[in-house]
Amino acid sequence: MATVNCKDFQDRFEPSDDSPRIDSPPDLDAKAHLRDCPACRSFVQDLGMIRAAAAELAASDPEPPARIWFSLRAELEKEGIIRGTSSKSWLREFFGGRFSALPRPVLAGGYLAALLAIAFGLSGPINSRINRQRWLDGTQSSTMPLSAELTSAEKASFSSLPASESSESPVTASLHKNLEIVDNYISLCENSVREEPENELAREYLYEAYQQKADLLAQLNER
Amino acid sequence: MARVRRVETPGELPEAEAIRLAQAGNAAAFERLYRLHNRRVYSLCLRMVGNTAEAEDLTQEAFLQLFRKIATFRGESAFSTWLHRLAVNVVLMRLRKKSATESSLDEMTEPDEESGGPRRDFGMPDLRLSGSIDRVNLQRAVEQLPPGYKAVFVLHDVQGYEHNEIAEIMDCSIGNSKSQLHKARMRLRELLHESMRDKAREDRKAAGNAGGKD
Repeated sequence: MATVNCKDFQDRFEPSDDSPRIDSPPDLDAKAHLRDCPACRSFVQDLGMIRAAAAELAASDPEPPARIWFSLRAELEKEGIIRGTSSKSWLREFFGGRFSALPRPVLAGGYLAALLAIAFGLSGPINSRINRQRWLDGTQSSTMPLSAELTSAEKASFSSLPASESSESPVTASLHKNLEIVDNYISLCENSVREEPENELAREYLYEAYQQKADLLAQLNER
Repeated sequence: MARVRRVETPGELPEAEAIRLAQAGNAAAFERLYRLHNRRVYSLCLRMVGNTAEAEDLTQEAFLQLFRKIATFRGESAFSTWLHRLAVNVVLMRLRKKSATESSLDEMTEPDEESGGPRRDFGMPDLRLSGSIDRVNLQRAVEQLPPGYKAVFVLHDVQGYEHNEIAEIMDCSIGNSKSQLHKARMRLRELLHESMRDKAREDRKAAGNAGGKD
């Protein structure tokens, strides 16, 4: 006869680390108790299910938003922990702070215009002289994986469009137009990065452009 | 359960090198370290507070503290353990401030002062959770756990840390980590049963209302 009661069993019970389904209680008394006690069998089964569901939670972990890094970086620069300056923080503050009240389409248009102006600047002769000061050794372009991701996202976005949507709505047409502009801008930035791999500023603009493209693709997907 | 570790791809700055460069103030190295660990830290914060805005804020705060102290990192413990220790402390501090009273880790993990663990009713009818645990249900229940239980549960069962690592992160003994995890799981089971009963009650009520209308 089992000498273990439910409290003893449940206090002593520890699920195995190897498997979420547990069927090996610590000793013979506990095994006997488990055989005779439906409540403890249910307890063991529930704990196994909780473990399995918890492991699935990890698979659904969301990607942290990009703004955390931008904000963190701005703070690190402000505190002088990161040595060297970045144009991104003031750009973000400028666009985010002053124009946050404007409607999104107006903002997007303004943003694209600004990007084009910057692209012109990047390809100009002044650029190389200014940006040589921004040399950072040991850095590598972190934008290539993002570029690949965007290309596949773009393919998925277009392939998911039904054939009946070949005649686009004006908003969709405008988004496609903007996408085209951003793509051209990305080409310019990529050229700049290729010509001057050490140019951190060019990489930052390229990264920013990829994000703009990601936003546009997301909007297209929503439609 | 094996923890999913982020794999360093060839051509990317290895973590040890990134730490060395970050200690010298290299911006790209900071970003590299952030990208290596941001997902797990954000996930920990999100599961602990259940609110994206607050999780973002806490993630930033944890990394800020990390980077402020990075020059003092000597590699006695794993970098990710060190970072998670900072992150857990940041989250627990925030939760303590929120509760408006100073409380120890024990107070944050012991909801039942009499028994030192979750309330339990032995010999209750045979309720089973089968089929009722989905991610949403579980996340809701996790959010209701006391902070200490929640931290150990998220670190072990969700993120896959071992008890010896959790003991280092939480600054407690391995036995304490195991005991907190056991209590957390039992409390979760209780919470899931409660939500199952609530749902059954609502269903009955809805069925009754529908029957009354006929």
